[in-house]
Amino acid sequence: MADKIVLVVDDSRVARMMTRAAIAKLHPTWPVIEAASGEEALTAVALDQPDYVLMDVNMPGIGGLETARQLRSRCPSAIISLLTANIQEPVRQQAEAMGVSFMSKPLKDEALARFLVSVP
Amino acid sequence: MSDILGHSERDAVTEILNIAIGQAAASLSQLVEDEVALSVPSVEFLSPVNAAARIDEATGRLDSVAVRQRFQSSFSGDILLIFPESKSLELVRSLLGSSVPLDSLTELEQEALLEIGNIILNACLGSLANQLGISIESSLPTYARGKGARILDVKHPDSELVMFLQVDFILTSKGVGGYLAFVMDIASAQQFSEAVEAYVARILAG
Repeated sequence: MADKIVLVVDDSRVARMMTRAAIAKLHPTWPVIEAASGEEALTAVALDQPDYVLMDVNMPGIGGLETARQLRSRCPSAIISLLTANIQEPVRQQAEAMGVSFMSKPLKDEALARFLVSVP
Repeated sequence: MSDILGHSERDAVTEILNIAIGQAAASLSQLVEDEVALSVPSVEFLSPVNAAARIDEATGRLDSVAVRQRFQSSFSGDILLIFPESKSLELVRSLLGSSVPLDSLTELEQEALLEIGNIILNACLGSLANQLGISIESSLPTYARGKGARILDVKHPDSELVMFLQVDFILTSKGVGGYLAFVMDIASAQQFSEAVEAYVARILAG
């Protein structure tokens, strides 16, 4: 499997560290780009088109759901999943309506592994 | 609590919160890879001053660290995750692993506690919202350190009662204890109880 680019969007540095470590455990050579806000993520994808995006929801600024919505048109081939502590049904439903996956925090290795095999 | 909510309302509120807190404990257990033992929740109506004193009692009048989120639905209030300050580094080490040097641990302490709080408090609020079939908006988590009054951020200490729900938890093998508290004013507590009653009535009606 060729290396893929993963974009991790979370306002918490610790959360980004933990997500990066979980990705590295599964795919040590894959480049991981970090963004601390939705705005940073939208800027980042102008430089590197990610194959996968892991997106927090509750963030200062435009928030994860709106960022995911905008990424849908800017990176149509990227596979996006929310990665959030906000486990409320309306959040899951909005993700589903956008064609975005949903993973709850704390991140489970098995769920991440399943998500990261969806790009050929 | 029976002064303000009847016995059956109290039972329903405690049960709903028990489930929500169980979800939060499962998240914490997974995060720190340790079993989390929970106490039976205690629900009391206290003055803000007495609620702050309760926090200080639990920590032997030493400083606590807390992550707080304001939440808003048909009822509103604060949910807090509180640890004795002396245990917070141990908790952060549980999260990030023993390979992280102490200097880095200290630097990351506040951010790590915020992320722990974010996960646990949202697990609790999310379970509550999902059970009741409502949407609960919550603020971004904030960090506080100090004595009980500072942790609770009491604005009007003499004015009104708050519903203070406390659940103690202990990470079994690490000996790190803390607790989770809900603080609502009386009007919100009554609206919360009504939402719970409506939920129970729907379940009973099939």
